[in-house]
Amino acid sequence: MKNSIIRLATEKPRVVYAIVLSLVLVTAALMIRLEIDTDPENMLPPDQSDRVFHNQVEDRFVLHDAIVVGIVNRNHDEGIFNVDTLTSLHALSESILNIEGVIEPDLMSLAVADNIGQEGPGTIRFEWMMRDAPTTAAQAESIRDKVSRLPLLKDTLVSGDGRAAAIYVPIESKDLSYPISQEILALTESLQSNDEFHVTGLPVAEDTFGHDMFVQMGISAPLAGLMIFLLMLYFFRSALLVIAPMLVAMATVIVSMGLLIGFGFTVHIMSSMIPIFLMPIAVVDSVHIMSEFADRYRPDKDAKAVISEVVGHLYTPMLFTSLTSAVGFLSLLLTPIPPVQIFGAFVAFGILLAFLLTILLIPAYIVRLSPGALERLASESKTAHTETPLARMLRRLGRFSMRRGKLITGVAVLFIAVSIAGISRIEINDNPVRWFKASHPIRVADTVLNEHFAGTYDAFFVLTHSDTKATEGFISEAQALLADIEEPYASTLAEQLGNSSDSDFYGAIIATADDALFETGDDNSMAALESLIALAEDAQSASRYFQRPDVLAEIEGIQAALDASGYVGKTNALPDVVKVVNRELRGGDEAHYDIPGSVPAVAQTLLQYQSSHRPQDLWHMVTPDYTSTAIWLQLKSGDNQDMSNVIAAMDDHLAKHPLPAGVEARWAGKTFINVVWQDAMVKGMLISLVGAFGAVFLMMTLLFRSVRLGLLAMVPLSVTILGVYGLIGWIGKDYDMPIAVLSSLTLGLSVDFAIHFIERTRALLRSTGSFETTSQQIFEEPARAIARNAIVIAIGFTPLFFAPLVPYITVGAFMAAIMALSGATTLVLLPALLSWAGGWLFGGDVGRSAPSPDAAATA
Amino acid sequence: MFRAIILATLLTAAHAIASDMTDADAIVERANLASYYAGADGRSEVRMLIADAQGRKQRRQFTVLRRDVEEGGGQQFLVVFSQPSDVRNTVFLVHKHLDRDDDRWLYLPGLDLVKRISAGDKRTSFVGAHYFYEDVSGRRPSDDTHELMETTDEYYVLKHVPLDASSVEFASYTTWIHRETFIPMKIEYLNDAGKLYRSVEVLKVEDIDGHATVTRSRVSDHIGGGQTDMQFRFISYDLGLSDDVFTERSLRSPPRNWLERSSE
Repeated sequence: MKNSIIRLATEKPRVVYAIVLSLVLVTAALMIRLEIDTDPENMLPPDQSDRVFHNQVEDRFVLHDAIVVGIVNRNHDEGIFNVDTLTSLHALSESILNIEGVIEPDLMSLAVADNIGQEGPGTIRFEWMMRDAPTTAAQAESIRDKVSRLPLLKDTLVSGDGRAAAIYVPIESKDLSYPISQEILALTESLQSNDEFHVTGLPVAEDTFGHDMFVQMGISAPLAGLMIFLLMLYFFRSALLVIAPMLVAMATVIVSMGLLIGFGFTVHIMSSMIPIFLMPIAVVDSVHIMSEFADRYRPDKDAKAVISEVVGHLYTPMLFTSLTSAVGFLSLLLTPIPPVQIFGAFVAFGILLAFLLTILLIPAYIVRLSPGALERLASESKTAHTETPLARMLRRLGRFSMRRGKLITGVAVLFIAVSIAGISRIEINDNPVRWFKASHPIRVADTVLNEHFAGTYDAFFVLTHSDTKATEGFISEAQALLADIEEPYASTLAEQLGNSSDSDFYGAIIATADDALFETGDDNSMAALESLIALAEDAQSASRYFQRPDVLAEIEGIQAALDASGYVGKTNALPDVVKVVNRELRGGDEAHYDIPGSVPAVAQTLLQYQSSHRPQDLWHMVTPDYTSTAIWLQLKSGDNQDMSNVIAAMDDHLAKHPLPAGVEARWAGKTFINVVWQDAMVKGMLISLVGAFGAVFLMMTLLFRSVRLGLLAMVPLSVTILGVYGLIGWIGKDYDMPIAVLSSLTLGLSVDFAIHFIERTRALLRSTGSFETTSQQIFEEPARAIARNAIVIAIGFTPLFFAPLVPYITVGAFMAAIMALSGATTLVLLPALLSWAGGWLFGGDVGRSAPSPDAAATA
Repeated sequence: MFRAIILATLLTAAHAIASDMTDADAIVERANLASYYAGADGRSEVRMLIADAQGRKQRRQFTVLRRDVEEGGGQQFLVVFSQPSDVRNTVFLVHKHLDRDDDRWLYLPGLDLVKRISAGDKRTSFVGAHYFYEDVSGRRPSDDTHELMETTDEYYVLKHVPLDASSVEFASYTTWIHRETFIPMKIEYLNDAGKLYRSVEVLKVEDIDGHATVTRSRVSDHIGGGQTDMQFRFISYDLGLSDDVFTERSLRSPPRNWLERSSE
């Protein structure tokens, strides 16, 4: 296998080029099918139960994703309640209603809100809050007075301080939020108003992120590539040597991404980072080959033979580093988050592809070089790096590590302890809006609007009542009555009794019985029909559970508990509607802001609420059959942690005040869904990490045929993972999605360094038989290769610091930290361990030390 | 009552008119009489099935009594709910005037409360249906300008534009008025953007006591989805309803003798 690949590459370089080129062209062509997906809901599988429920709730209560538009007036004495601002608000609302993709009936704004109020004693008035923009200050102030009496609007459509107003723009599809938000921004600019305008909301954040991500992929990834190229050029001083690894990296990235897109996967925030992850990994192996080739090649030698020898000799360690890195990423398949799984699978694929491309393209590239170019390559690269500051520093480092082995080990143990303490401080938290920098207009809008309003983040606490016993009881009693009812009514009724899931179940039965009652002349039938109607009416009334005053009081209790939790800006629910209408029906006095005492009274209150311009608003809070109701929570923060605190507060409340029998409570809403997938991610990542750790350890043991060396190889990656996550804990950076996947990257890259270090150490020990010589020689070429790789990768990703999106900055920063740490542990801690435990670790490989029994067995 | 509901009246003489009418105002006047003024008074039981865009249904059932104070002029309406049982005996009383705002009252038995309802805006939902209050008592022909757009074999097609655009949610509406019965068989409302957002259709017309009477109709919401179907039954005209049936007293104690079905 190995030999035939090398032979193919060296004998038929043009064929290799042609194959790789056509593969790149075909997969590049697949990229036109690119589809960006930024919907955090897709972090959960489509059949995940919370996601399914969330979507059911959106259907059940006709909820849509909404863009939040804010208008802020900081100067006027009356805040937004002045003629100019309200005129702007009115005009903006009207224009937004005409935008394609906006769901007109559910838009929320003062301009389309309804008011219920008093018109003189004993007269109630239903009217538009602001059908036309006000023309006088008095009109503007009267709108303020009306709003202040409507708790559902206060702090939702108008801020408590009167300085800001909001428009909630429901949209047909999340994909439209970026274009629609841009259209709204353009509208605000054409208004010629002195007010501030802000546009935010989770769907906008997500869609804008997708847009920026696309730009990002087009700019940052190539920039990182260029940076890596320049750095390698600096280290190796040979464009000839560096071009080949770059070709491998580019081909790897294009083929992997092309296949991902070609297979029909959407490009998610995770998969958009694949190029950034693959580039360094793809470069590393070819750099090893190229520099070793440059070392060994002499003009009098046959390039083909040298490269075959080099590839043949590096084949196994390269295969193992590739396999272990791939395993690190494949372990992400254990995380139940589809985008993370796809990310893991394609990075793993890319790593193995990079291995294959390295052993094919690099030899083909070498044999196609002219003798002059080969000579230049050999001479340029040899003088380049033996006497650089890096080389000198590495030698000093080597001596220091060997001499102060125990001290270093002690420091490392201390470092691990401090790191573990840091890890215990890690805060698990995420918030898609924070994926933007603090200066991004979306973040600014988010901050400003959440300062003024009860909150732009939504969650829903959904209560559902079912009493199947009552339904079954009604059905069996009704069926008993059918015997006395004549045909055809009995058959019709029997059939209707079978439709208990229909929203019109009782209504249809009552209507049929009512008709039959009029038409039949049979006394028995009439008596039975009358009983049936009475029975159905009672059952219907009882089934409308959320019309019950005692149940509404229960909901008020839940709202109070949520409000008291300190994390909720405001709750909106059915009791608020009932109380406002009741108050206005009873004359408008605040004393009547309560829930009327009987079911018919509540039902009639709601009948009045429905006599407005927007009767459909009721169904955002309760279903038409009154068996399910939603409490809408407005949260000032989209932090998962805050949402988790709300959930905990609710659990607490329910533990003390259990829900009535037959009532089930469940969370929904985007903010909640984010918590769900994050929980799944954190747990999944732990399983992934443990799985990968075990798998890599096994592979190391197998590769070195020694459990001790297997353990030694795990040291750099363990220290790095502990160190990086300890650092995250100490600096207080939230553990979010990009941070979570860094563990796989760490695993994959750190183990590379360890493999090369241990492999080379063992080879040197075998040939020299002395720790001292080995420790000197290992800090020549091998240490330089490791250090160079670490530096190239760390610095190569600095362009990410200029990314407008925080997750990329995070990855860039931690990539540097990981490289620094794993490079340092490999080059400092491993030799330090060797200095006092080398004999035990390497056993039979050391000439003078007494071989331990098992080392002898495995050697 | 409801636009084109109970009271579509038509003098048999109308059939004799063979020639086309060309005066839009005259056609509207005839349609108004046919839709709302059949007989001197009338009663009807109405069943409403309100469905949202997902097909979820609500039902309402009520009886309407009407009395014309003057043919083509003032009218009185009493609406008494019977279903669902939770809102039973909720009552609306309307005194419609041509020269001033209507008087409207409401009685809620659950709260034992009589309220006057401000005349302000009549284009709000009638108890959650896609019908408006104005559809119940009829829009005054003088509120709009009328233009005859087309005369087909069956219909006069008229376009109506409101005189006071700020008081209504439509920019214009078009009616298809039947040439023989003068019942508006279809009404389409366009919004400011010129988009059809609401329509009313008559699904069934029956001859009752010599009056062509709408017995089934439907209002559809073309933007939010959903529709309300109405069925009118147990209709009778010229019952001899007196003025005192339509007083505030009837709110708390509705006239049972007129509300119960007569077994004809």
